[in-house]
Amino acid sequence: MSDGEVYVIDRVVTCPGRAREFVERYLAEYAPGARDRGMTLREVLVSPPIWFADQSNTVTISWSLPSARAWWEMTWKGRPDSALGKWWSDISELLVERTRGVAATADDVDGLCDV
Amino acid sequence: MFNVTRLIHTSDPDRLLPELRALAAAADRAVVQPTLPGVRNGGDILMHLRFAVDAQWASVADEFAALLSGPAVSHVDGAQYRGMPDVSDQLAPDAVYRTLLLRVGPGSDAAAVKRFEDDLRLLPRYVPSITSWQLSRVESAVGTSSWTHVFEQEFRDLEALTGPYLMHPIHWAYVDRWFDPECPDVIVRDRVCHSFCRCDTVVLG
Repeated sequence: MSDGEVYVIDRVVTCPGRAREFVERYLAEYAPGARDRGMTLREVLVSPPIWFADQSNTVTISWSLPSARAWWEMTWKGRPDSALGKWWSDISELLVERTRGVAATADDVDGLCDV
Repeated sequence: MFNVTRLIHTSDPDRLLPELRALAAAADRAVVQPTLPGVRNGGDILMHLRFAVDAQWASVADEFAALLSGPAVSHVDGAQYRGMPDVSDQLAPDAVYRTLLLRVGPGSDAAAVKRFEDDLRLLPRYVPSITSWQLSRVESAVGTSSWTHVFEQEFRDLEALTGPYLMHPIHWAYVDRWFDPECPDVIVRDRVCHSFCRCDTVVLG
């Protein structure tokens, strides 16, 4: 019960021509702190796989955590840090829109809901 | 019903508790209990009073104010609001009453606030160990923030609050985005008050 890996998925649509800059800043500025909070970076996907100069890209970044409890521990570490919210606010100048989702594999859904 | 909640930070709960309970006899329903370990900004005493009509509260409000302005009380967060609970089960012998005071940021889009409230109402559907609950908009607030909402629940026991309520995906994978500064949907940016205590009589249900 209440078992299974948890995935955090950031999906952003970048401003035209800003995708490479976003990915570089995300990896340099955001990722180290996320790792310190217990997240493991799985992949950074760029769609389409072209660094457009004058069009938007969609960048999808996925992280994993070993459990729901680890997710809570991650967010409890980050939430008091006002710099984290400011980072997202500052980076918004490169973005048209973004979402953050939390997911699990289909095989784990029943177990996670069996609390 | 007219509701009053106070989260009282005090250096002398043993003296204050009987005095608060004596005054709380004016309410139709009341819980006045020491908080349990694990509260966040939840005070040392949780007091929740329910009155059939506002005038009942008005008749004792000054006495409560005088008691809570004494030197043993360092801080009070609280709210006054109206609401009726949703009851799904009887009060359990080891029941825990929990209240959450929160402030939706000023200027939040009205449609987003409605979605936020609808999402909070989903929690009891997925967490059956919540035996009764009430979500209310605040009419007047005291304390650190201009609280906008109070979300109360009765749980079967303490484990139900710290286990299933916290660990169900409806909480961490769906509803929590409204509280998470990393999520673009966030509308609750101020600290919240999360307080809970034992309740041996029906408060909400």
